Amino acid sequence: MDIQISRLARRFGKVTALHSVDLSIPGGMYGLLGANGAGKTTLMRILAGVLPPGSGQVRVGGHDLTTGAGRLAVQRRLGYLPQDLGLYPDLTPREFLDYVGLLKGLDDTRARRAQVDELLDLVALGEVAGRRMKGFSGGMRRRVGIAQALLGDPTLIVVDEPTAGLDPEERVRFRTLLAGLAGHRTVLLSTHIVEDVAQTCQHTAVMAAGRVVYTGTVADLVRVGEGATWEVVTGVGGPPPAGVVVSAVSRTDGTHYRVVSPTRPGADAVPAAPSLEEGYVALMRRAAAPVPSGSTGR
Amino acid sequence: MSELLAVSRYEFRMQARKRSLWLVTLLLGCLLIAIQGDQGPRHLPADTPPAEVMTTWAILLGIVVPLGFGMVLADRLIRDRRLGTTALLESLPVGPGRFLAGKYLGGLAASALPVFLLMLVAGGYESLHRGDPLLLGWTVLVFAVVMLPGLAFVAGFALVCPLVVSAPLFRVLFVGYWFWGNFLGAEILPSLTGTLLTPVGAYPASWLSGQWQMYAGDPGWLSFLRPEPDGLAALSSVLLLVLTGLLPLLVAGLVFNRRRRTTV
Repeated sequence: MDIQISRLARRFGKVTALHSVDLSIPGGMYGLLGANGAGKTTLMRILAGVLPPGSGQVRVGGHDLTTGAGRLAVQRRLGYLPQDLGLYPDLTPREFLDYVGLLKGLDDTRARRAQVDELLDLVALGEVAGRRMKGFSGGMRRRVGIAQALLGDPTLIVVDEPTAGLDPEERVRFRTLLAGLAGHRTVLLSTHIVEDVAQTCQHTAVMAAGRVVYTGTVADLVRVGEGATWEVVTGVGGPPPAGVVVSAVSRTDGTHYRVVSPTRPGADAVPAAPSLEEGYVALMRRAAAPVPSGSTGR
Repeated sequence: MSELLAVSRYEFRMQARKRSLWLVTLLLGCLLIAIQGDQGPRHLPADTPPAEVMTTWAILLGIVVPLGFGMVLADRLIRDRRLGTTALLESLPVGPGRFLAGKYLGGLAASALPVFLLMLVAGGYESLHRGDPLLLGWTVLVFAVVMLPGLAFVAGFALVCPLVVSAPLFRVLFVGYWFWGNFLGAEILPSLTGTLLTPVGAYPASWLSGQWQMYAGDPGWLSFLRPEPDGLAALSSVLLLVLTGLLPLLVAGLVFNRRRRTTV
Protein backbone atom coordinates (compact mmCIF):
# COMPACT_ATOMS: atom_id res chain seq x y z
CA MET A 1 0.00 0.00 0.00
CA ASP A 2 1.94 3.03 -1.17
CA ILE A 3 1.46 6.51 0.25
CA GLN A 4 1.74 9.67 -1.84
CA ILE A 5 1.75 12.99 -0.04
CA SER A 6 1.94 16.24 -1.91
CA ARG A 7 2.03 19.80 -0.57
CA LEU A 8 0.38 18.69 2.66
CA ALA A 9 -0.07 21.46 5.22
CA ARG A 10 -1.83 21.49 8.59
CA ARG A 11 -2.31 24.30 11.03
CA PHE A 12 -3.62 24.37 14.59
CA GLY A 13 -4.76 27.92 15.14
CA LYS A 14 -1.70 30.08 14.58
CA VAL A 15 0.73 27.17 14.79
CA THR A 16 1.71 25.49 11.54
CA ALA A 17 2.46 21.83 12.26
CA LEU A 18 3.14 20.79 8.66
CA HIS A 19 4.53 23.03 5.92
CA SER A 20 3.88 21.78 2.39
CA VAL A 21 5.09 18.24 2.96
CA ASP A 22 5.92 16.09 -0.07
CA LEU A 23 6.63 12.44 0.59
CA SER A 24 6.38 9.16 -1.24
CA ILE A 25 6.33 6.01 0.89
CA PRO A 26 6.65 2.63 -0.80
CA GLY A 27 5.68 -0.73 0.72
CA GLY A 28 7.78 -2.39 3.44
CA MET A 29 9.16 -0.86 6.59
CA TYR A 30 9.63 2.90 6.46
CA GLY A 31 11.08 5.08 9.20
CA LEU A 32 10.02 8.61 10.00
CA LEU A 33 12.60 10.32 12.17
CA GLY A 34 12.46 13.68 13.84
CA ALA A 35 12.75 15.47 17.13
CA ASN A 36 9.73 15.95 19.38
CA GLY A 37 7.52 18.62 17.84
CA ALA A 38 8.80 18.01 14.31
CA GLY A 39 5.30 17.24 13.02
CA LYS A 40 5.56 13.43 12.92
CA THR A 41 2.51 12.78 15.07
CA THR A 42 0.39 15.23 13.07
CA LEU A 43 1.41 13.41 9.88
CA MET A 44 0.65 10.01 11.47
CA ARG A 45 -2.75 11.22 12.66
CA ILE A 46 -3.60 12.47 9.19
CA LEU A 47 -2.56 9.13 7.66
CA ALA A 48 -4.71 7.32 10.22
CA GLY A 49 -7.71 9.45 9.30
CA VAL A 50 -7.91 10.93 12.79
CA LEU A 51 -7.13 14.45 11.55
CA PRO A 52 -8.29 15.86 8.24
CA PRO A 53 -5.51 17.32 6.09
CA GLY A 54 -5.40 21.12 6.02
CA SER A 55 -4.47 21.48 2.38
CA GLY A 56 -2.65 19.42 -0.21
CA GLN A 57 -3.13 15.84 -1.31
CA VAL A 58 -2.73 12.57 0.58
CA ARG A 59 -3.38 9.31 -1.25
CA VAL A 60 -3.03 5.98 0.50
CA GLY A 61 -3.31 2.92 -1.72
CA GLY A 62 -5.03 5.14 -4.27
CA HIS A 63 -7.60 6.46 -1.76
CA ASP A 64 -7.88 10.20 -1.29
CA LEU A 65 -7.66 11.01 2.42
CA THR A 66 -9.20 14.44 1.93
CA THR A 67 -12.59 12.77 1.36
CA GLY A 68 -14.71 10.94 3.90
CA ALA A 69 -15.04 7.90 1.63
CA GLY A 70 -11.27 7.78 1.14
CA ARG A 71 -10.64 8.01 4.88
CA LEU A 72 -13.09 5.20 5.55
CA ALA A 73 -11.53 3.00 2.87
CA VAL A 74 -8.06 3.49 4.37
CA GLN A 75 -9.30 2.95 7.92
CA ARG A 76 -10.69 -0.44 6.89
CA ARG A 77 -7.15 -1.54 5.96
CA LEU A 78 -5.32 0.26 8.73
CA GLY A 79 -3.65 -0.83 11.93
CA TYR A 80 -2.80 2.21 14.05
CA LEU A 81 -0.84 2.44 17.24
CA PRO A 82 -1.09 6.04 18.47
CA GLN A 83 1.51 7.70 20.60
CA ASP A 84 0.59 7.21 24.29
CA LEU A 85 -2.22 4.78 23.60
CA GLY A 86 -4.54 4.53 26.57
CA LEU A 87 -6.42 1.37 27.46
CA TYR A 88 -9.63 0.74 29.34
CA PRO A 89 -8.51 -0.40 32.80
CA ASP A 90 -11.80 -2.22 33.36
CA LEU A 91 -11.35 -4.52 30.36
CA THR A 92 -9.05 -7.49 29.88
CA PRO A 93 -6.70 -7.55 26.85
CA ARG A 94 -8.92 -10.21 25.31
CA GLU A 95 -12.02 -8.05 25.72
CA PHE A 96 -10.24 -4.94 24.47
CA LEU A 97 -9.05 -6.70 21.34
CA ASP A 98 -12.48 -8.20 20.81
CA TYR A 99 -13.98 -4.70 21.06
CA VAL A 100 -11.51 -3.23 18.56
CA GLY A 101 -12.03 -6.25 16.29
CA LEU A 102 -15.77 -5.68 16.27
CA LEU A 103 -15.24 -2.02 15.43
CA LYS A 104 -12.92 -3.04 12.61
CA GLY A 105 -15.78 -5.05 11.18
CA LEU A 106 -14.60 -8.55 12.14
CA ASP A 107 -18.12 -9.90 12.52
CA ASP A 108 -17.38 -13.64 12.49
CA THR A 109 -17.25 -14.31 16.24
CA ARG A 110 -15.28 -17.56 16.08
CA ALA A 111 -12.68 -16.20 13.64
CA ARG A 112 -12.34 -12.96 15.61
CA ARG A 113 -11.81 -14.77 18.91
CA ALA A 114 -9.26 -17.09 17.32
CA GLN A 115 -7.36 -14.12 15.91
CA VAL A 116 -7.46 -12.29 19.23
CA ASP A 117 -5.95 -15.28 21.04
CA GLU A 118 -3.35 -15.75 18.31
CA LEU A 119 -2.26 -12.11 18.52
CA LEU A 120 -2.13 -12.16 22.30
CA ASP A 121 0.19 -15.15 22.07
CA LEU A 122 2.27 -13.35 19.43
CA VAL A 123 2.88 -10.42 21.78
CA ALA A 124 3.42 -12.77 24.74
CA LEU A 125 0.29 -11.72 26.60
CA GLY A 126 -1.53 -15.03 26.37
CA GLU A 127 -1.07 -15.74 30.06
CA VAL A 128 -2.67 -12.48 31.17
CA ALA A 129 -5.36 -12.40 28.48
CA GLY A 130 -8.11 -12.69 31.08
CA ARG A 131 -6.68 -10.19 33.57
CA ARG A 132 -7.98 -6.62 33.67
CA MET A 133 -5.49 -4.12 32.24
CA LYS A 134 -5.45 -1.89 35.30
CA GLY A 135 -1.88 -2.07 36.56
CA PHE A 136 -0.31 -3.29 33.31
CA SER A 137 3.27 -2.08 32.82
CA GLY A 138 4.23 0.25 29.97
CA GLY A 139 5.64 -2.67 27.99
CA MET A 140 2.49 -4.74 28.42
CA ARG A 141 0.35 -1.82 27.33
CA ARG A 142 2.45 -1.31 24.19
CA ARG A 143 2.08 -5.00 23.41
CA VAL A 144 -1.69 -4.75 23.74
CA GLY A 145 -1.41 -1.72 21.45
CA ILE A 146 0.50 -3.55 18.74
CA ALA A 147 -1.81 -6.56 18.99
CA GLN A 148 -4.87 -4.39 18.38
CA ALA A 149 -3.09 -2.72 15.46
CA LEU A 150 -2.60 -6.12 13.84
CA LEU A 151 -6.24 -7.15 14.12
CA GLY A 152 -7.89 -7.75 10.79
CA ASP A 153 -4.55 -8.31 9.01
CA PRO A 154 -4.15 -4.64 7.94
CA THR A 155 -2.13 -3.76 4.85
CA LEU A 156 -1.00 -0.45 6.34
CA ILE A 157 0.39 -0.26 9.87
CA VAL A 158 1.13 3.14 11.36
CA VAL A 159 2.99 3.13 14.66
CA ASP A 160 3.80 6.36 16.43
CA GLU A 161 6.71 6.33 18.89
CA PRO A 162 6.09 2.69 19.80
CA THR A 163 9.28 2.09 21.77
CA ALA A 164 9.46 5.29 23.83
CA GLY A 165 9.71 4.37 27.49
CA LEU A 166 10.37 0.67 26.92
CA ASP A 167 13.31 -1.09 28.51
CA PRO A 168 16.07 -2.27 26.10
CA GLU A 169 14.88 -5.87 25.98
CA GLU A 170 11.28 -4.88 25.28
CA ARG A 171 12.45 -2.44 22.63
CA VAL A 172 14.47 -5.07 20.79
CA ARG A 173 11.55 -7.51 20.94
CA PHE A 174 9.18 -4.85 19.68
CA ARG A 175 11.46 -3.84 16.80
CA THR A 176 11.88 -7.45 15.75
CA LEU A 177 8.14 -7.95 15.80
CA LEU A 178 7.53 -4.86 13.66
CA ALA A 179 10.24 -5.75 11.16
CA GLY A 180 8.75 -9.23 10.80
CA LEU A 181 5.39 -7.73 9.89
CA ALA A 182 6.64 -5.63 7.02
CA GLY A 183 6.89 -8.45 4.48
CA HIS A 184 3.66 -7.86 2.59
CA ARG A 185 2.59 -4.68 4.31
CA THR A 186 3.54 -1.05 4.62
CA VAL A 187 4.74 -0.36 8.14
CA LEU A 188 5.31 3.28 8.94
CA LEU A 189 7.42 3.71 12.05
CA SER A 190 7.54 7.19 13.51
CA THR A 191 10.16 7.72 16.17
CA HIS A 192 12.74 10.06 17.59
CA ILE A 193 14.92 7.08 18.51
CA VAL A 194 17.46 6.75 15.69
CA GLU A 195 18.46 3.26 16.73
CA ASP A 196 14.94 1.93 16.03
CA VAL A 197 15.18 3.05 12.42
CA ALA A 198 18.79 1.88 12.07
CA GLN A 199 17.79 -1.64 13.12
CA THR A 200 14.60 -2.04 11.11
CA CYS A 201 14.27 0.25 8.08
CA GLN A 202 15.90 0.47 4.68
CA HIS A 203 14.22 3.76 3.81
CA THR A 204 13.51 6.74 5.95
CA ALA A 205 12.39 10.34 5.99
CA VAL A 206 13.49 12.97 8.46
CA MET A 207 11.26 15.79 9.62
CA ALA A 208 12.21 19.04 11.31
CA ALA A 209 9.91 21.93 12.22
CA GLY A 210 7.03 20.60 10.14
CA ARG A 211 9.10 19.99 7.01
CA VAL A 212 10.60 16.89 5.43
CA VAL A 213 14.33 17.56 5.33
CA TYR A 214 15.49 14.18 4.07
CA THR A 215 14.11 11.20 2.18
CA GLY A 216 16.21 8.27 1.06
CA THR A 217 17.91 5.16 2.29
CA VAL A 218 19.23 4.77 5.80
CA ALA A 219 22.69 4.11 4.33
CA ASP A 220 22.61 7.48 2.57
CA LEU A 221 21.54 9.19 5.76
CA VAL A 222 24.61 7.71 7.44
CA ARG A 223 26.74 9.19 4.65
CA VAL A 224 25.45 12.68 5.45
CA GLY A 225 27.74 12.48 8.45
CA GLU A 226 30.83 11.72 6.39
CA GLY A 227 33.43 14.46 6.71
CA ALA A 228 31.51 15.92 9.63
CA THR A 229 32.13 13.24 12.28
CA TRP A 230 35.15 13.49 14.52
CA GLU A 231 36.70 11.76 17.46
CA VAL A 232 38.41 13.90 20.05
CA VAL A 233 40.24 12.66 23.14
CA THR A 234 40.74 15.12 25.99
CA GLY A 235 42.78 14.43 29.09
CA VAL A 236 41.32 17.13 31.28
CA GLY A 237 38.74 19.80 30.77
CA GLY A 238 35.41 19.72 29.00
CA PRO A 239 34.31 18.73 25.51
CA PRO A 240 35.63 20.48 22.40
CA PRO A 241 34.16 23.95 21.95
CA ALA A 242 32.85 23.42 18.40
CA GLY A 243 30.23 20.97 17.11
CA VAL A 244 27.64 18.69 18.71
CA VAL A 245 28.89 16.02 21.09
CA VAL A 246 27.08 12.80 20.20
CA SER A 247 28.80 10.57 22.75
CA ALA A 248 31.37 10.78 25.50
CA VAL A 249 33.12 7.73 26.92
CA SER A 250 35.56 8.01 29.77
CA ARG A 251 38.62 5.75 29.43
CA THR A 252 42.03 5.53 31.10
CA ASP A 253 43.66 7.76 28.48
CA GLY A 254 40.99 10.45 28.78
CA THR A 255 37.46 11.14 27.60
CA HIS A 256 36.67 10.07 24.03
CA TYR A 257 34.19 12.42 22.41
CA ARG A 258 32.42 11.81 19.13
CA VAL A 259 31.54 15.16 17.67
CA VAL A 260 29.55 16.25 14.65
CA SER A 261 30.91 19.45 13.18
CA PRO A 262 31.29 20.75 9.63
CA THR A 263 34.81 21.88 10.51
CA ARG A 264 37.54 20.17 12.53
CA PRO A 265 36.53 20.85 16.15
CA GLY A 266 40.08 20.92 17.48
CA ALA A 267 43.71 20.33 16.54
CA ASP A 268 43.58 16.77 17.92
CA ALA A 269 40.31 15.83 16.26
CA VAL A 270 40.46 12.75 14.02
CA PRO A 271 37.91 12.05 11.26
CA ALA A 272 35.68 9.09 12.15
CA ALA A 273 33.24 6.86 10.25
CA PRO A 274 29.73 8.13 11.03
CA SER A 275 26.89 6.12 12.53
CA LEU A 276 23.24 6.74 11.64
CA GLU A 277 22.87 8.91 14.70
CA GLU A 278 25.78 11.07 13.58
CA GLY A 279 24.41 11.26 10.05
CA TYR A 280 21.09 12.35 11.55
CA VAL A 281 22.71 14.99 13.75
CA ALA A 282 24.74 16.31 10.79
CA LEU A 283 21.54 16.53 8.76
CA MET A 284 19.68 18.35 11.53
CA ARG A 285 22.51 20.85 11.87
CA ARG A 286 22.47 21.40 8.17
CA ALA A 287 18.68 21.79 8.19
CA ALA A 288 18.91 24.34 10.97
CA ALA A 289 21.56 26.36 9.11
CA PRO A 290 20.48 29.12 6.69
CA VAL A 291 19.82 27.56 3.28
CA PRO A 292 22.03 28.99 0.51
CA SER A 293 20.11 30.18 -2.52
CA GLY A 294 19.56 27.42 -5.10
CA SER A 295 19.69 24.60 -2.53
CA THR A 296 16.59 22.46 -1.83
CA GLY A 297 17.68 21.55 1.67
CA ARG A 298 17.44 17.81 0.93
CA MET B 1 -25.38 -1.99 13.12
CA SER B 2 -22.81 -4.43 14.47
CA GLU B 3 -20.55 -1.51 15.43
CA LEU B 4 -23.41 0.11 17.34
CA LEU B 5 -24.06 -3.14 19.18
CA ALA B 6 -20.34 -3.54 19.89
CA VAL B 7 -20.03 -0.05 21.41
CA SER B 8 -23.24 -0.57 23.41
CA ARG B 9 -22.12 -3.98 24.64
CA TYR B 10 -18.68 -2.88 25.79
CA GLU B 11 -19.94 0.41 27.18
CA PHE B 12 -22.50 -1.55 29.17
CA ARG B 13 -19.82 -3.94 30.40
CA MET B 14 -17.41 -1.20 31.46
CA GLN B 15 -20.08 0.89 33.17
CA ALA B 16 -21.60 -2.12 34.94
CA ARG B 17 -18.14 -2.89 36.37
CA LYS B 18 -17.94 0.54 37.95
CA ARG B 19 -18.20 0.00 41.68
CA SER B 20 -19.42 3.55 42.36
CA LEU B 21 -22.49 2.93 40.20
CA TRP B 22 -23.71 0.19 42.52
CA LEU B 23 -22.61 1.86 45.74
CA VAL B 24 -24.24 5.21 44.97
CA THR B 25 -27.54 3.62 43.92
CA LEU B 26 -27.59 1.30 46.91
CA LEU B 27 -26.76 4.06 49.39
CA LEU B 28 -29.30 6.52 48.01
CA GLY B 29 -31.96 3.81 47.77
CA CYS B 30 -31.39 2.65 51.35
CA LEU B 31 -31.43 6.24 52.58
CA LEU B 32 -34.81 6.90 50.93
CA ILE B 33 -36.31 3.66 52.20
CA ALA B 34 -35.12 4.46 55.71
CA ILE B 35 -36.47 8.02 55.79
CA GLN B 36 -39.65 7.59 53.78
CA GLY B 37 -41.85 8.39 56.78
CA ASP B 38 -45.55 7.69 57.21
CA GLN B 39 -46.42 8.82 53.70
CA GLY B 40 -44.03 6.33 52.10
CA PRO B 41 -45.10 3.32 50.05
CA ARG B 42 -44.42 0.86 52.88
CA HIS B 43 -47.22 2.46 54.87
CA LEU B 44 -49.88 2.42 52.17
CA PRO B 45 -53.06 0.59 53.24
CA ALA B 46 -53.34 -3.09 52.38
CA ASP B 47 -56.10 -2.49 49.82
CA THR B 48 -54.09 0.08 47.81
CA PRO B 49 -54.15 -0.82 44.10
CA PRO B 50 -50.85 -2.38 42.91
CA ALA B 51 -50.27 0.38 40.33
CA GLU B 52 -50.43 3.00 43.04
CA VAL B 53 -48.12 1.02 45.32
CA MET B 54 -45.44 0.73 42.67
CA THR B 55 -45.76 4.29 41.31
CA THR B 56 -45.35 5.52 44.89
CA TRP B 57 -42.14 3.50 45.08
CA ALA B 58 -41.00 4.91 41.74
CA ILE B 59 -41.66 8.46 42.89
CA LEU B 60 -39.91 7.82 46.20
CA LEU B 61 -36.80 6.36 44.56
CA GLY B 62 -37.00 9.03 41.86
CA ILE B 63 -36.38 11.77 44.42
CA VAL B 64 -32.62 11.25 44.51
CA VAL B 65 -31.63 7.93 42.90
CA PRO B 66 -31.48 9.52 39.40
CA LEU B 67 -29.00 12.03 40.85
CA GLY B 68 -26.53 9.20 41.36
CA PHE B 69 -27.42 7.88 37.92
CA GLY B 70 -26.56 11.21 36.27
CA MET B 71 -23.37 11.61 38.27
CA VAL B 72 -21.91 8.23 37.37
CA LEU B 73 -22.75 8.78 33.69
CA ALA B 74 -21.08 12.17 33.58
CA ASP B 75 -17.61 10.84 32.75
CA ARG B 76 -18.53 8.32 30.04
CA LEU B 77 -17.66 10.47 27.03
CA ILE B 78 -14.87 12.53 28.52
CA ARG B 79 -13.08 9.51 29.92
CA ASP B 80 -11.98 8.38 26.45
CA ARG B 81 -9.98 11.59 26.21
CA ARG B 82 -8.69 11.18 29.76
CA LEU B 83 -7.64 7.58 29.22
CA GLY B 84 -6.06 8.31 25.82
CA THR B 85 -8.24 6.01 23.73
CA THR B 86 -9.73 8.74 21.53
CA ALA B 87 -7.06 8.65 18.80
CA LEU B 88 -7.40 4.89 18.42
CA LEU B 89 -11.20 4.99 18.37
CA GLU B 90 -11.17 7.77 15.77
CA SER B 91 -8.87 5.72 13.55
CA LEU B 92 -11.44 2.91 13.34
CA PRO B 93 -13.97 2.79 10.51
CA VAL B 94 -16.88 3.83 12.71
CA GLY B 95 -18.54 7.25 12.51
CA PRO B 96 -18.94 9.43 15.61
CA GLY B 97 -22.73 9.09 15.45
CA ARG B 98 -22.56 5.36 16.08
CA PHE B 99 -20.08 5.83 18.88
CA LEU B 100 -22.34 8.33 20.58
CA ALA B 101 -25.42 6.17 20.11
CA GLY B 102 -23.59 3.10 21.42
CA LYS B 103 -22.24 4.98 24.42
CA TYR B 104 -25.71 6.31 25.14
CA LEU B 105 -27.48 2.96 24.90
CA GLY B 106 -24.82 0.99 26.77
CA GLY B 107 -24.32 3.65 29.44
CA LEU B 108 -28.06 4.10 29.92
CA ALA B 109 -28.70 0.36 30.19
CA ALA B 110 -25.86 -0.26 32.64
CA SER B 111 -26.63 2.76 34.81
CA ALA B 112 -30.36 2.00 34.86
CA LEU B 113 -29.72 -1.62 35.86
CA PRO B 114 -29.15 -0.99 39.61
CA VAL B 115 -32.17 1.33 39.67
CA PHE B 116 -34.25 -1.43 38.09
CA LEU B 117 -32.91 -3.98 40.57
CA LEU B 118 -33.78 -1.63 43.42
CA MET B 119 -37.31 -1.40 42.08
CA LEU B 120 -37.42 -5.19 41.77
CA VAL B 121 -36.41 -5.55 45.40
CA ALA B 122 -39.17 -3.11 46.37
CA GLY B 123 -41.63 -4.98 44.12
CA GLY B 124 -40.55 -8.32 45.57
CA TYR B 125 -41.01 -7.02 49.10
CA GLU B 126 -44.47 -5.62 48.31
CA SER B 127 -45.41 -8.78 46.46
CA LEU B 128 -44.61 -10.90 49.52
CA HIS B 129 -45.99 -8.39 52.01
CA ARG B 130 -49.31 -7.93 50.19
CA GLY B 131 -49.51 -11.48 48.83
CA ASP B 132 -49.95 -10.29 45.25
CA PRO B 133 -47.47 -11.73 42.71
CA LEU B 134 -48.87 -9.36 40.05
CA LEU B 135 -47.02 -6.57 41.81
CA LEU B 136 -43.84 -7.83 40.16
CA GLY B 137 -45.39 -7.25 36.74
CA TRP B 138 -46.42 -3.76 37.83
CA THR B 139 -42.85 -3.17 38.97
CA VAL B 140 -41.53 -3.76 35.46
CA LEU B 141 -44.26 -1.66 33.85
CA VAL B 142 -43.86 1.23 36.29
CA PHE B 143 -40.07 1.19 35.86
CA ALA B 144 -40.41 1.25 32.07
CA VAL B 145 -43.07 3.96 31.91
CA VAL B 146 -42.38 6.16 34.94
CA MET B 147 -38.63 5.91 35.59
CA LEU B 148 -36.91 4.93 32.35
CA PRO B 149 -37.96 7.94 30.20
CA GLY B 150 -36.62 10.29 32.88
CA LEU B 151 -33.39 8.31 33.09
CA ALA B 152 -33.05 8.43 29.28
CA PHE B 153 -33.57 12.20 29.46
CA VAL B 154 -30.90 12.55 32.13
CA ALA B 155 -28.50 10.21 30.28
CA GLY B 156 -28.40 12.35 27.12
CA PHE B 157 -27.46 15.48 29.06
CA ALA B 158 -25.12 13.69 31.48
CA LEU B 159 -23.10 12.28 28.60
CA VAL B 160 -22.79 15.44 26.54
CA CYS B 161 -22.78 18.37 28.98
CA PRO B 162 -19.41 17.45 30.56
CA LEU B 163 -17.86 17.98 27.11
CA VAL B 164 -18.82 21.64 27.44
CA VAL B 165 -18.55 22.27 31.19
CA SER B 166 -16.32 20.15 33.41
CA ALA B 167 -17.76 16.98 34.92
CA PRO B 168 -17.59 18.30 38.53
CA LEU B 169 -19.36 21.53 37.50
CA PHE B 170 -21.96 19.53 35.61
CA ARG B 171 -22.63 17.45 38.71
CA VAL B 172 -23.18 20.55 40.84
CA LEU B 173 -25.47 22.12 38.22
CA PHE B 174 -27.32 18.83 37.80
CA VAL B 175 -28.19 18.65 41.51
CA GLY B 176 -29.60 22.18 41.32
CA TYR B 177 -31.52 21.38 38.16
CA TRP B 178 -32.93 18.14 39.60
CA PHE B 179 -34.63 19.81 42.54
CA TRP B 180 -35.66 22.86 40.51
CA GLY B 181 -37.10 20.77 37.65
CA ASN B 182 -38.87 18.16 39.75
CA PHE B 183 -39.77 19.36 43.18
CA LEU B 184 -39.86 23.16 43.31
CA GLY B 185 -43.55 24.08 43.21
CA ALA B 186 -44.66 26.74 40.74
CA GLU B 187 -45.89 28.91 43.63
CA ILE B 188 -42.30 29.34 44.84
CA LEU B 189 -40.40 29.91 41.57
CA PRO B 190 -41.09 29.40 37.84
CA SER B 191 -39.82 25.89 37.16
CA LEU B 192 -40.34 22.76 35.07
CA THR B 193 -41.91 20.99 38.06
CA GLY B 194 -45.29 19.50 37.14
CA THR B 195 -44.76 19.82 33.38
CA LEU B 196 -44.52 17.11 30.72
CA LEU B 197 -40.75 17.58 30.98
CA THR B 198 -40.57 16.53 34.63
CA PRO B 199 -38.10 13.62 34.54
CA VAL B 200 -39.29 12.14 37.83
CA GLY B 201 -42.25 10.88 35.80
CA ALA B 202 -45.14 12.83 37.31
CA TYR B 203 -47.46 12.39 34.32
CA PRO B 204 -47.01 8.64 33.69
CA ALA B 205 -47.19 8.05 37.46
CA SER B 206 -50.43 10.04 37.70
CA TRP B 207 -51.93 8.16 34.76
CA LEU B 208 -50.96 4.70 36.03
CA SER B 209 -51.99 5.29 39.63
CA GLY B 210 -55.07 7.35 38.91
CA GLN B 211 -53.81 9.87 41.48
CA TRP B 212 -52.24 13.25 40.78
CA GLN B 213 -48.58 12.87 41.55
CA MET B 214 -45.81 15.41 42.03
CA TYR B 215 -47.62 18.58 40.92
CA ALA B 216 -48.48 17.07 37.49
CA GLY B 217 -50.57 19.63 35.59
CA ASP B 218 -50.46 22.25 38.37
CA PRO B 219 -50.94 25.73 36.95
CA GLY B 220 -47.76 27.71 36.45
CA TRP B 221 -45.00 28.72 34.08
CA LEU B 222 -45.15 27.19 30.52
CA SER B 223 -48.83 26.33 30.79
CA PHE B 224 -48.81 24.53 27.40
CA LEU B 225 -46.62 21.88 29.04
CA ARG B 226 -49.17 21.35 31.86
CA PRO B 227 -52.17 19.47 30.45
CA GLU B 228 -54.54 17.45 32.61
CA PRO B 229 -52.84 14.16 33.51
CA ASP B 230 -54.34 11.41 31.37
CA GLY B 231 -53.10 8.65 29.05
CA LEU B 232 -52.31 10.99 26.18
CA ALA B 233 -50.47 13.41 28.45
CA ALA B 234 -48.49 10.50 29.92
CA LEU B 235 -47.53 9.30 26.45
CA SER B 236 -46.59 12.86 25.44
CA SER B 237 -44.44 13.16 28.53
CA VAL B 238 -42.64 9.86 27.82
CA LEU B 239 -41.96 10.83 24.20
CA LEU B 240 -40.96 14.37 25.05
CA LEU B 241 -38.52 13.21 27.73
CA VAL B 242 -36.90 10.59 25.49
CA LEU B 243 -36.66 12.91 22.46
CA THR B 244 -35.38 15.86 24.50
CA GLY B 245 -32.72 13.55 25.96
CA LEU B 246 -31.61 12.70 22.44
CA LEU B 247 -31.16 16.36 21.50
CA PRO B 248 -27.74 16.87 23.12
CA LEU B 249 -26.55 13.68 21.45
CA LEU B 250 -27.74 14.94 18.09
CA VAL B 251 -25.93 18.24 18.57
CA ALA B 252 -22.76 16.47 19.74
CA GLY B 253 -22.92 14.12 16.74
CA LEU B 254 -23.20 17.06 14.35
CA VAL B 255 -20.27 18.83 16.02
CA PHE B 256 -18.07 15.69 15.95
CA ASN B 257 -18.91 15.05 12.30
CA ARG B 258 -18.17 18.64 11.39
CA ARG B 259 -14.89 18.55 13.29
CA ARG B 260 -13.78 15.44 11.40
CA ARG B 261 -14.52 17.13 8.09
CA THR B 262 -13.09 20.55 8.93
CA THR B 263 -9.75 20.95 7.25
CA VAL B 264 -8.09 23.94 8.89
